[in-house]
Amino acid sequence: MKENSTRSGINLSPVYGPSDSNGDYSKRFGNPGEYPFTRGTRAYSGRGWIQRELSGEGDPKRSNEQFKYLMTLGQTGLDVIGDSPTMSLMDPDHPLAQYTVGTQGVSLCRHDDYRELLDGIPLDQMSISSSSPSMFMVASLYLLAKERGVSPGVLRGSVIEWPFYSEHCSYAYKMAFDLHLRMSCDVIEFCSREMPKFHGYLEDTYFFSEAGLNAVEEAALGFVEIRHIVRTLLARGLDIDSFAPRIAILTNCSMDFYEEIAKIRAMRRIFARMMKEEFGAKDPRSQAVNIAVHTSGLSLTTEQPANNIVRGAVQTVALGLAGVSALEISTFDEGYRTPSKEAHLVGLRTQQVIDLETNINSVQDPFGGSWFMESLTDEVEARILDMVNDIESRGDPAELVSSGYFKQFFHGTMGRYHRQVHDGDVLKVGMNVHQMPAEQDTLLRDISEEKIEPLFDRVKEISAYRERRDQKPLLDSFQRLHDVVQTDENMLDAVLECTLAGATMGEIAGILRQAWGTPYDPYGHLESPLGRTQ
Amino acid sequence: MKPIRVLVGVLGMDQHELGAIGIARMLRDQGMEVIYTGCFNTPETIVQAAMQEDADVIGISSHSWEYLYYTPELLDLLKQNDLDVPVVLGGSVITDEDAGKMLDKGVAAVFGSGSIVTDMIETVRNLADGAATS
Repeated sequence: MKENSTRSGINLSPVYGPSDSNGDYSKRFGNPGEYPFTRGTRAYSGRGWIQRELSGEGDPKRSNEQFKYLMTLGQTGLDVIGDSPTMSLMDPDHPLAQYTVGTQGVSLCRHDDYRELLDGIPLDQMSISSSSPSMFMVASLYLLAKERGVSPGVLRGSVIEWPFYSEHCSYAYKMAFDLHLRMSCDVIEFCSREMPKFHGYLEDTYFFSEAGLNAVEEAALGFVEIRHIVRTLLARGLDIDSFAPRIAILTNCSMDFYEEIAKIRAMRRIFARMMKEEFGAKDPRSQAVNIAVHTSGLSLTTEQPANNIVRGAVQTVALGLAGVSALEISTFDEGYRTPSKEAHLVGLRTQQVIDLETNINSVQDPFGGSWFMESLTDEVEARILDMVNDIESRGDPAELVSSGYFKQFFHGTMGRYHRQVHDGDVLKVGMNVHQMPAEQDTLLRDISEEKIEPLFDRVKEISAYRERRDQKPLLDSFQRLHDVVQTDENMLDAVLECTLAGATMGEIAGILRQAWGTPYDPYGHLESPLGRTQ
Repeated sequence: MKPIRVLVGVLGMDQHELGAIGIARMLRDQGMEVIYTGCFNTPETIVQAAMQEDADVIGISSHSWEYLYYTPELLDLLKQNDLDVPVVLGGSVITDEDAGKMLDKGVAAVFGSGSIVTDMIETVRNLADGAATS
């Protein structure tokens, strides 16, 4: 970060005054809970944010124990991540998955797994958010609610949709873009009909911004995706107000304190105007977007891990001031692993201390009207919109995905970030400034370096499970799913049927790919249960 | 002089490419030829690419513990193919203790988080020169 400029390169004056910020109050800000929602999506409630920490490790049972532990610590929502195979639509017994099952998230591939995962979790009270593949989380949540006599209509929580960027950043589905987009839109449509309190579309700008993007780039790419998904849903004949109330955004929060607050304020305003002016949304809930945040893992260091606790706290203060609906702190051991028990404790306690001891929630949008913050919010907003326009002027965003434009973009930002840290343009205490010799750097190191062993037993168990199932109804359900893909029908009903017949996620994903005319297993190891000629 | 050819890749289901891409760019800036193989590699695909591309050094970037299993497999496979190409590991998840284990198994060098890039470049250069003269 250059002196007196933000990470996005916005120049800052040392002092701001009345001439730096002017304009019509009601047009630019509005009161909290009023259009364009710059100052917050709700009138003052004093409730603070949903407090949660990233969880999921090992098998579903172990993750369930983790959830219950977090709930005893006072966590008010669940945030679940799958291991890398799960996140990539791959079953644990795939040859490429073997060494990583359950090590960086929970291994989930069949409905029984979700039953175990959410055993004893009150579905009608706990908000359940997950970054694991949305179609499968939604299908199982829906079925589970019915099994337990809970109306799916009361379910709360969110799943992420990431058709634009997942292939090139973090977790590849190895699917045609149009197919991934259709899966996302089917999930959103299904949720808005069957689970109207559940966010079937969380725009997750966190995961791709960890490719070294700055705040402006993060938000711009997010809005490019939101716009495209909304247009696609409208083209299906859906009413904007039938689904827009349940769009939410999950952003990153880096260490650039002021700019991150400005980013969140600007994103609320851009979203509101986009929905109202561009898409004609009339329901205020369609215009007011809830923003949840996961603090930046990339801002953390493996050196001097205790420093990460401070980073998480500072980011949490920023988010409290910005007014967010939920947050997770990337914990002190993030450089090595998903959170340990100890890191969970520290992460939640950090949120609770800031929430309960500092009076931070006593005033909404305390920066509102600040000459500096309003001027920075305007500038961040203008730059985000410029970048959205710039990207869209390069062509149909869907074609930009297929042509590799975003892949190149991410490679560029990754290289840039790597260089910024190397050159000291982005300072990280303990890593590129104020380092200490490894033998002195021991505080919290043992806990941070503790590994999670891969679950070789689960690999065997899933292989055996495949053989145990009644094959006839399973194959019938695969055939029906295959047929439905050829139509314009929403695929969720067919996916529910497969799920109840005991199908695994990897199989369903494979059938979808195959029906799309692409290989069942993109890695070339597995054969389709429907054979080759379908 | 023939430029040094370095193969850079990520193994298994690890999909964190930032380190790999950062290093690939820096090696390129030094005039080296980088064959970037991206994610989803196995020891087999790395060895195949190293043979086809006539790599002087293999660089594996890791942000997942999968490297603990794949690296020994990769070293064995190189031996089976009579391929004398040094393997360099990099990544912030590699602890000092695990770095020691990997070096014992025959990895030529390990770079954890915060490693000095000039050291890495120097090491790659020396390894490539060593491989050329051996």
